[in-house]
This record gives sequence, structure tokens and C-alpha cells, in this order.
Amino acid sequence: MDLIIDIIKILFIFTLIMGVFSPILGWVERKQSALMQDRVGANRADIFGFTMIGLFHPLADALKLMTKEDFIPQGANKVMHTIAPFISFVPALIAFAVIPFGGEYIIHGKEINLVIADLDVGLLYIFAFASLATYGAVIAGWASNNNWSLLGALRASAQMISYEVAMGLTIIGVFMVYGSLKLTEIGAAQEDFFKWGIFLQPLGFVMFLAAAIAENKRIPFDVAEAEPEIIAGYFLEYSGMKFIMFWMAEFIEIITISGIVTTLFFGGWNIPFVPTATLISFFSSLGDTWANIITMLIHIGVFFSKIIFFIWLQMTIRWTLPRFRYDQVMKLGWKILLPLSLLNIFVTGVVILLFKK
Amino acid sequence: MAIGIVKVKRNVKMTFWERSYIPEVLRGIAITSRHFFINLVGFIPAILFGKERKIFTVYYPEERVKYPDAYRGRPILVLGDDGVEKCVACGLCERICPAFCISIQPAETELDKERYPETFTIDQSRCIVCGFCEEVCPKEAILMSQDTEIADYDRKKMLYRKEDLLVAEKDLRMRQAYVRGAFARWNY
Ligand code: SF4
Ligand code: SF4
Repeated sequence: MDLIIDIIKILFIFTLIMGVFSPILGWVERKQSALMQDRVGANRADIFGFTMIGLFHPLADALKLMTKEDFIPQGANKVMHTIAPFISFVPALIAFAVIPFGGEYIIHGKEINLVIADLDVGLLYIFAFASLATYGAVIAGWASNNNWSLLGALRASAQMISYEVAMGLTIIGVFMVYGSLKLTEIGAAQEDFFKWGIFLQPLGFVMFLAAAIAENKRIPFDVAEAEPEIIAGYFLEYSGMKFIMFWMAEFIEIITISGIVTTLFFGGWNIPFVPTATLISFFSSLGDTWANIITMLIHIGVFFSKIIFFIWLQMTIRWTLPRFRYDQVMKLGWKILLPLSLLNIFVTGVVILLFKK
Repeated sequence: MAIGIVKVKRNVKMTFWERSYIPEVLRGIAITSRHFFINLVGFIPAILFGKERKIFTVYYPEERVKYPDAYRGRPILVLGDDGVEKCVACGLCERICPAFCISIQPAETELDKERYPETFTIDQSRCIVCGFCEEVCPKEAILMSQDTEIADYDRKKMLYRKEDLLVAEKDLRMRQAYVRGAFARWNY
């Protein structure tokens, strides 16, 4: 029974991310940038004359990239070149395993916890896999036997290692406030609106978002790709399905970042001012099981609406800000984010000491 | 002395507010998201009430902009109102063409003009649409059209023969008027 529930949860998350979110993000990226720049955007791919405001473009992309030649450049390390996209793709996907997309519900006397793996070290697991993704970029750049790729890989490794430090330290404030590394517990602790992470750790939120976007190597921190400078950086020599995997990895990481930010700073699945108990008692006329099921569905909806908001925010940032110079990225990471996050830990510690008896 | 390190004096004076970056980032995001939301709902009046779109993108193959009269598309030959091409095969256009893309085979005719081009070929793959041929022609027999869609898969198809080039004079009044206005001051 437990196994079936787990499989259902895994399938749900997997289809939602791979089948719904990441193809649609390709469309969102095009359409949103178009709207922000007063353009029309992708609307040419059609099936029997229906363009569906450009929703067929991801389909066309997939078809095109699948039928393309899978090219491995001369002198490239074939094995490394082949496994690099998987190394950057898989960690991005499985990081979602520890993010809770709902609380705990009792359905038919059975307790259902809406998280695939409720690890005690949930956040450390995410960091561990986020740093694994660095290898994908580095190996891809090195194995391609191309100067630009190597430059991109060097930049990617330097940048990601720098920002890993800042990202890890910004999160420590959150641990201190909630006293747990378990993401389900952090989520449950935010049932009260004024206990949301954004109120307790506002500086931590801004810095975490910056560091997370830098980890994902998206504009304004995309020095590792930097089309005008080093063409496309580490995945320059990739084509076809392998290219699509880098592409998907980036999109999935956007979703994962949104999930982490939602869980840590924006109350996870909780609705402001509406505790779970209130919601269940509101539907209690339908019987206990149905009240729990409806509450669960509402919470899942709320969680994914928050995720959609953060995806929108990241896209807006990506299409608003220009790219930093490489030295600026490094300066921001080491000279600003790192001291600020240490300061954040210090202030949080002092406040906890003073106000907790 | 360290070689080649020049400190560029940029003439940008930023206030502390601007240098702290985050407020300015928020301002930028506010601007872009304002455009985003305006455009997000902006298409609704266009669909419902047929109002004019705010976005000025032209859906190219379905919609076209009207080119100004001065626009130079591919050159065409004028078919006079009497059903005969105006060209007298004088060869001036062939001579002036900087891309050497016109080739004319003149022949004699019983008509008033005495000479006519037996073949008149423009290699459209070489034409640079400069308009010299139009300017030099003494008979207003070759004019620049508004047609720009001359791409093709085969170079042989880019050779436009006389039959492909002829356009009735009545469709060319606009360009004719423009040419007369533009070149009148040189008193041809
Ligand atoms: S437009 Fe210029 S290049 Fe083209 S045929 Fe006339 S003279 Fe030659
Ligand atoms: S200059 Fe005019 S008249 Fe002379 S050959 Fe060319 S088109 Fe014909």
C-alpha cells in the first residue's frame, strides 16, 4: 500500500514536471519575453491552421531536436560527452523528491504525507545534488574539445562553487529560525502567516534567490553561457536530444528553485490566515475523508500557484536585467553575498537568543 | 608600470540609491512587468471589439506594410498601353548596370521605335537593386517595382526573361510619377 502511494506521488511529480511544466516553460519563456518587449512572440507552429497562441512550439521543438543528428565533435571524449547532459539533468529532476507539495492528510484512516522522500536532511540533500549539477557543466565543457566550451566550463565551475557557499550560508538562517532541516517540518511551521520565512528572513530570501539564479546560470548570472562572448559556453558542442537535456535541466531547475523558495520563505502549501484545521472543518459536512481529500487538493493547488508565481518572477528577472561581467559576478558572490549572509546568521542568532526564553 | 591597464573614466555619476542596485532592479522589473500585464490583457479588446492592436508587429505573410513610392524592389519592364514594351533596346541599362546582370538581344521592328529587345534578361540573383537602370533609361521603359519576394531554390530560376519582367503601364503610374518628380531636375 505504501509502495503504491509512493509510486503515485512519484508519477504525479514526474509527469507534472516533465510533461507539463518544462515543455510549457519553453513556451512561457518565448511568450513572456515577447509580451514584456511589446512583441507578439511565437505563434507560427500550427496544426491544421490552429496555432493555439504558440503552444505547439514546444512540440515542434521536440520533434526537431529529436530528429536532429547527434553530433560528437572530433577529438571529444565520447563517453564523457555523452554522460554530461545526464549528469546535469538528473540532479535537477531528483532534487524535487524532498520538496513537500502538501501537508499530512488522513484518508481512510491512512496518513498521507505529500512528499516523495521525507528526509531528515532534506535541504542538505538538495545542496548535495545542486553541487552535482556543477559536474555536468564542467564535464560537458571539458569533453567537448572546444575552447569556448572549456571557457564556459571554467566560468561555470568558478561561479557555481562561489555561489554554493553563499547559498548554503543564507539558508542557515532559516534552519536557525525553524530549528529543522526537514522540509516538511519547515513547511508545517509556516502555517501562521506571520511565521513565513519572508518575514523572519527577508534578507535571506533576497540573497537566496540571487544565489539560486546564479546556481542555475541564468541571466543576469549566465556568464557560463554568454552567447555574445563565448557563444554558448559549455553546451556549445551539443545537438539534438543532448542539447534538449541541458535545456530541460535549466527549466527543471527553475521549478526546483521556485519549490525551495516557496517551501522555505513563502509558506509552502499553506494559505495565509487559513490554517489546515479550519479548512478541514469547513468541509467537515462531507465526511472526514472527503474533507481531507479536498483540503489536500486545495493545498496542492496553492503550492503550485506559488511555484508558478516564482517561475514568473524568475522569467521577469531573466528578461529585465542585463548580464553581469564575469568579475562582477565573482565580486557579488564573494564580497557582498558571503559577508551579508554571515551577517544574516549573526543577527538571526542574536535575535533568537534575545527573544527565545 | 603595469602594461596596458587604463582606467576608463566613465562619466556616470550614480547616487547611493542607484548604486545599492536592488531598488533599481525592482524599478526595472516594475517597468517590464507593467508592459507584460498591459500586453497580457491588451489583446482582449482587439479580439472582442476589433480595436487596433497595440503591438505593432506585422504578421508578415498575411499582413504587409505599404512601401513608399520611393521603394526599390526588383526592376521590371513597362508594357505600354498599346501592348508593346516601351524598351528600344538602346543598351544603356545594360551598360550602366554595376552588377552586369542585364543582357539584351536587340532586333529590328516595323514599329515606330524601330528597335526592340528580342530577349531581355535580368539575373535577379546578381541584381543589387540599385535603380541605375531605371535612372538611365531614356524611355521610362524599366522601372523599380515593389516586389521583394524573389528568393528561389534554383539559380536558373532567378533569370527573369522578358515575359516575366513585363508589367502593364497602368499599374505603374505611381512609380512613373515618382520617377518623373525625382529625376526632373536633371532635365532628361
Ligand atoms: S537595379 Fe541596378 S543592378 Fe539591378 S538591373 Fe538595374 S542597374 Fe542592374
Ligand atoms: S535603357 Fe531603357 S530603353 Fe534602353 S535598353 Fe534599357 S530598358 Fe530598354
